[in-house]
Parts: sequence; structure tokens; C-alpha cells
Amino acid sequence: MDPLRQDEFDSQACGSIAPKAKPCPRPKPGEAAGGCSFDGAQITLLPIMDAAHLVHGPIACAGNSWESRGTLSSGPSLSQYGFATDLTDSDIIFGGEKKLKDSIDYIAGRFAPPAIFVYSTCVTALIGEDMDAVCKEAADRLGIPVIPVNSPGFVGSKNLGNRLAGDALLQYVIGTGEPEPETDLGVNLIGEYNIAGEMWDIEKLMNSAGIAVTSRITGDARYKEITWAHRARVNMVVCSRALLGLAKEMESRYGIPYFEGSFYGAKETTYSLRQMAYLMNDREMERRVDRLTEREEARLSQELRPYRKLLRGKRAVLYTGGVKSWSVISALKELGVQVVGVGTNKSTEDDVRRIADRVGDDTEYIPEGGASRIIKTVRERKADIMIAGGRNMYVAMKEQIPFIDINQERHKAYAGYEGLLRLAKELTYSLANPIWKLAASPAPWDKEAPPYDR
Amino acid sequence: MTVNRRKKPASVNPMKIGQSLGAVLALQGCYRAMPLIHGSQGCSAFPKALLTRHFREPIAVQTSALQEMDVIFDANRNLEEALNLVLSKHRPDIIGIIGTELTDVAGVDYQNMLKTYKRERNMRGGLAFSVVLPDFRGSLESGFSSTVESMIDEMIQQVGHRGQRSVNTRQITLLPGSFLTPADVMELKEIISSFGFEVIVLPDISTSLSGHLLTGFSPLTRGGVPLDSMLQSLQSGLTIAVGGSMERPARRLHNAIGTPYKVFEGAMGLKATDELLHFLHQISGEPVPLRYCWQRENLLDSMLDAHFQFAGMSVVAALEPDHLHSVSGWLEELGVEQRALITSFETPLIAGMEREVWVGDLDDAEVLGKGADLWISNSHGIAGAQRTGAAFMPAGFPVWNELGAYMSVSAGYRGAMEWSNKAGNLLMQREAGSRESSVRHR
Ligand code: SF4
Repeated sequence: MDPLRQDEFDSQACGSIAPKAKPCPRPKPGEAAGGCSFDGAQITLLPIMDAAHLVHGPIACAGNSWESRGTLSSGPSLSQYGFATDLTDSDIIFGGEKKLKDSIDYIAGRFAPPAIFVYSTCVTALIGEDMDAVCKEAADRLGIPVIPVNSPGFVGSKNLGNRLAGDALLQYVIGTGEPEPETDLGVNLIGEYNIAGEMWDIEKLMNSAGIAVTSRITGDARYKEITWAHRARVNMVVCSRALLGLAKEMESRYGIPYFEGSFYGAKETTYSLRQMAYLMNDREMERRVDRLTEREEARLSQELRPYRKLLRGKRAVLYTGGVKSWSVISALKELGVQVVGVGTNKSTEDDVRRIADRVGDDTEYIPEGGASRIIKTVRERKADIMIAGGRNMYVAMKEQIPFIDINQERHKAYAGYEGLLRLAKELTYSLANPIWKLAASPAPWDKEAPPYDR
Repeated sequence: MTVNRRKKPASVNPMKIGQSLGAVLALQGCYRAMPLIHGSQGCSAFPKALLTRHFREPIAVQTSALQEMDVIFDANRNLEEALNLVLSKHRPDIIGIIGTELTDVAGVDYQNMLKTYKRERNMRGGLAFSVVLPDFRGSLESGFSSTVESMIDEMIQQVGHRGQRSVNTRQITLLPGSFLTPADVMELKEIISSFGFEVIVLPDISTSLSGHLLTGFSPLTRGGVPLDSMLQSLQSGLTIAVGGSMERPARRLHNAIGTPYKVFEGAMGLKATDELLHFLHQISGEPVPLRYCWQRENLLDSMLDAHFQFAGMSVVAALEPDHLHSVSGWLEELGVEQRALITSFETPLIAGMEREVWVGDLDDAEVLGKGADLWISNSHGIAGAQRTGAAFMPAGFPVWNELGAYMSVSAGYRGAMEWSNKAGNLLMQREAGSRESSVRHR
């Protein structure tokens, strides 16, 4: 792969498209958390469920990471297979290109996937494997797309990996196919990964407003639908600033308007649906969306009533990456939950502005520092609950702090109106669980005065 | 007998785990320790996430966070920075620097760097060591045992050669293999101490990853064997290693300071437990405690009850080498057919087995174990078991589809009983399931 020059690298930082934006800080040795770019690229592309995803490198990159996401499939499951070239010493010495070629052939022959994504990793990038050439040659020979994803772990953060995956889609996938003639064209959902099935809730909503999903990029996607993404009428960037560049590029290349939105919280959901109809420039659709959102919001506020009563005034610390930090704040606010601390470690300036719009002055921003810093905020701000990623879940359990998982590994879908109701329920269950009282009270013999003085 | 490999270029559904994860696991069993992975961020983030998912505990680990230019120019600058920060901020007692394939391929010499660093900072009191664990070789098991070996090396360097060693014959050092759960380690500790021995476990995950409720967050490990006990273990009269992979660290102790050692290949099943207890009885002169005599009967009785269930059944097992060896011995006692045994890499123990073993992945388990009734592997095997219609029994690492997997016992009579019942129940449920569906289809 071509090494990135430092200035290029800076301009790509954090997935922002504007070169002047401040770069992601260099991860601090001894205090770094979070995944590598390879991880980020995988997250973006693995939800293409019918494709094969082959990791080119020694075993750990694939062996330690496959099947670690909560992204769900409604059908094919080839993407859940862990494929790795599993390089050995001698492969490194003599080069792994032959093994890569054989692996691609093997996968194509045995599984007949519509496409194969091939990921470089630190070692294969370092020794200068010409992955692009191997992929190109294989694609020509086999007659299926074989797509190199040049995002080895050491080029940067997970965010940069998301972006590099987006680049691979732009370069090799989008625009290479055409939809069936009878396909109803509508919106591309970009950066929605169908964690815990959230995509399905969103799709249902869109369909009931008569809005078609053209391509899912990439939650529960099929390879083919992404090839015709350039025919969509609108792009919606859901919770992923790293893929904003993809939307911008599609606007300039294909003239597709885009907007950023979220489905966390009723207000954001309504806004997003309206925005779709508006950008499609379809009055009838706008009316349909209005009717739907009114109906749904009314029904939701009915159903939320008992939970709102219990949640009003509760205090939460929210620690999650990027866009989710502000969109989840909206959702929590609707439930009456006050966010007293919020992580901004992965947020861009835009995100921080949006956070500021949504929280009060006394909310603490947690720029970095990991678990100990979050816990400190929970204690100092007397928070009732912590909402964060799985990485911090057991830290919270040790401290006996109620916890809700908001990241990739979770099993609950929180998007859309249904999702908000689910979030309300989860918050209530968590806060009301008898365990907090039980764990806080000592064993009976510890309560007694000691039997005799010692 | 024979170790085979299926011919295919790619690994499909790997069961192999990077060696460095084994190192991180080993260090979790030491108190106030910090594993520091010398590599890019992802190489520590993935193991951390995976270990957290399995043990449902916070995991201590840090990284030197190499980026592309660092690798090419000066990787050790990052390491130094990381060391400075970790030492000044958290003051760990033990620090293990784990070299990855990246630093290996780039030819980074951090062993020397560490030496100089230690000399320059006049580092004393703590234990700092390094271990080279590229992912081209071995798997979790070898990463774990190599780390214990390096740790022991460093301990010996620090105090071992100094003066006369006063041997404490009532003290035993236990070196438990990576396949043992925290509950297994606890069980072994109890068994050995029930014969009147002091036991020092190296490393001791039974007190760090077994779910204690110490409050007060620390990025270092909580629980595990403290440094002074570790150093005191050099006075032990005997080393007991459990698992073939732990022989090398045991031998290291023997060669350097003369501690005799005994290796048990496993501790699972009737025969293996008999052997362990008999040995302890002989060296201690104490009678076998009554509760183990009871447990032995309980086990035999439950095996009698279960043998109807196992009759005519076949099993496919895909586990790390030592673990596979243990499980295979236990399966032997149940009288089931071992249709296919698959492991992650070849070890002397595996090569010496009387059965055919395949080095491969979970895809091989699917192909070779076709038609088996029971499937034993880590949670990655769920889909394969489903496709082949076998009952799925989670074991090894990682297991995420079951609560309390880390507290399940396989060691001792109690462990064998627990496993036999669990496996029998799974087969029973599967049978009931197929009966029900055949009724519905009529
Ligand atoms: S940092 Fe590099 S070697 Fe480590 S997991 Fe990521 S891609 Fe693989």
C-alpha cells in the first residue's frame, strides 16, 4: 500500500473532509484505548452480509476479532465466517502474495460469494505486499469483484478505518451496478450497521411512510444493492461522521443530496423522516410522513407515560463515540433523564457544538482518561446510571453503578419510536433492579458488633 | 499417533488466538500488574475486548500505540513513553512488555532498550520483563506459558542466584495451564492445600478473574498473586505444573534453582484426578481427605447414571492443545466415539497422543466432525454445530454465550462430574428436541 504522508494523514483524520479540521490527536502510548484502523474498516464492511471478508495477515487480527459485533443479518451469513490468510514466518520471509491469491481462489470456488473484500493488516502493509495487484488479477480471472481494503491498523484510529472503507466502496463498488428496472428508488442509509436489528425498525418506519431504501451502507446489506447506490435520490448519513466524506463525494459525483440525521429519540426520528421527504422533493410523501410521525409520536407518548414518571430527574453519564453522544442525549432528554456528564473523546467540533446545544451548563465534558475518569464523574455528579460501551460495562458493575450498553456489542435496538420505548424500559429495569440494594448491604454477621473485644 | 493438516490455503473460522492474548491473560493472574503490548493499538484493543467478553471482568492492558511512522523510525520511543506514563501514574508492581509480530517483523530491539531503561531509572522493587510473542507461531496456550517462563526468568534474575536458597518443603508452587478456568485453579489450590501444603499459584487467575467485588477502580489488575508471594515461590520444595505447556516454566525453575517438578498433563476425569491425589498422598504422607473419597464415588455414580446417555454417541472437539488432551482423556472414560479432534497448533503433547489429531480451524471441525452428536469448542463454534446438527457445548476460550463460563469446573472429580452431567444433559435435550419435531412432522 502507498504510505500516507503526514499531511495527507492529517487531512483524513477523524473522517473529516475539510483538510483544515484539527487532526485526531496521536494516541498516547500507555494510555490509549480503542481499536485500530483495520478494526474500523471491518466494522464498516462486515455488515455486507453475503460477501466474504478475508483478512490478510497473521492470525491475531482476524482470530481475535471475528464475530465480535452485534450486527444482524436477515439472510445470508457468509460475512460471519472468519477468513484469514494466517501467515506464518516463512510466508513473511518469502511473501504472502501467493497465499493470498490461493486463499481468494479457494473462497471463490467453495463459497461462490458475490464479492470478496480483502483487508491489509499491519504486517502485510509493512512488508509491502502488493495487495491491489493480487486483487485486481484475481478479480479479472475469477470474474467477481475482489476489493482491496487498505486500512492496516497502524495508519490510525478506528474512525480513519471507517473512512478508508468508505473510500474502498467509492472506488470499487458504488456505481458498478444498476438496479432492476422495477426498483423503487429512494434513500441510502449510510453508517447504519443494524446493531441489534435497529436497521429493521428504521426500514419499517420508512416503508410505512412510503419511502424506499435503495442501499443499506452497510447494515444487513447485500453486495449488489451497494453497486447501485449512485441511483438513490437522497443520502442519509446516520451516526457516522467518518462516512460523511462518502456522502459528500456522492453529491459531487452523482448529484445526490445528503443530510446528517439520527434515529435516537422521537424528535430526531421525525426530523430525519421529514428531511428525507423534503429532499426527495415530494409533497405527497411529506404529507404522508407528517401523518405517520404525528400518529407515532402520539402513540409513543402514551406508552412512555409510566416510564417518564419513573425516569424524570434521573441523572446519567454518557460515554460513547462521535455522533451518538449528541443524538442519544436527545433521546434521554425526551425521557426526562438529565445528562450530567458526556464523553467527547471521539467527537468532532461539530459534535461538541451539538452536545452543547442539548445539555445544560453544568454538564461535565469528559475528553479522555478512560474508565477512572468516567467513574469519577459518575460519583461527583451523583449520576444514577452510566451509559457507555461494553468495554466499560464490567468496570461499572464492579462499582455497582447501573449500566446500559450503547455500543456495537449490545443486544437491544434503540432506534426509532419503538427504540425509544425500549430505551425507556431498559433504563427503568436497570435502575429498579433489586441487585443494587442487595449488593450494597453487608452480610448479617458484618453488621453485628464483634463478639468480643480483641 | 498422527498429527494431520487439511490442505487449504486460508484459515476458515479460526480457533487460533494470538499469542499476545495469552500473555495478557497470564498477567491478569498477578496482583497490581500491567501488560503492555508493544504494537499498534488494535493489538491491545482486540484482546481486551475479547477477554472482557469471556470473563465479564475489566481487563488490565496497555499499548505502546505504534503508528506507521513510529514503526519505521523509532518504535522504542513509544515504548519508553508508555513505560514512563504507566510507571508514574499507576505504579504497577509487575510490568510485562509483550512484543508483537509487528515489532518482530520490523526488527525492533526492545529487550535491550528495556535493560537500559531499567538501569537508567534504577528500577528496583518491581518486576519488569519482556516476552516476544509474534502471532505466526503458537496460540493462546504458548503465549501464556512463554509469559510465565519469562516472568520466572526475571524473578530468578532478581533474587534467585543470591546466596543459599532455604527450601520450604511444605510449600508448593502451582503452575496452572491456560486452559484452566479461575474456578479450576481454585479447585486445584484447594486439593493441594488439603494435604497440608502452602500453595503459591503462578499466575493465579482464581483471585483476579473469578468475580470479586473490590471497589475503587484501578487500571492495574485487581487480585492475583502478589509480587512478594511470587518471589517467595522460589523457596518452594516442589513445582506442580498442570498442562504439558507448563513443563517449560517448571523446568526453568528446576534448572536455575533446582526445584524438583512434577507435570500433570491434565486434571480432568477419574484417572487424571486419581493420579494427582495419589501423588499428593504419597509426598505428604497424609490420607486423602474424606471429601475427595466422597467425590470420587459421586463421580463414578454419576458416570453410571449417564452412560446410557453416552452410549453410541460421537463427539467432535476443537480446543487448544493441552485442553484437547485433557478433554480427550475424559471422553475416553465416557466411552463415546471421538470422531474428530482439532487443535490450534502442534505441541509435543499433541504429537505424542494415541489418537489422530488435526491441526486446523473450526471449519475443519465441521467437515471432519460431520455427523457427530456433540460439539465441544469455544463460542465461535455455535454456527458450525448448528449447521452439522450437533449439540453445542461451550469450552475453552472465548465463551460468551453462557453466563459464568469462567466459573465452571473441569478439574478434579467434581469437575469431571460437572462436565459429564452437562454433556449428558445437552445430548438429552437434543434428543428431546428431535423427538418433538418428528411428532410435529407427522
Ligand atoms: S493493530 Fe495491526 S496487527 Fe494489530 S490488530 Fe490492528 S491490524 Fe492487526
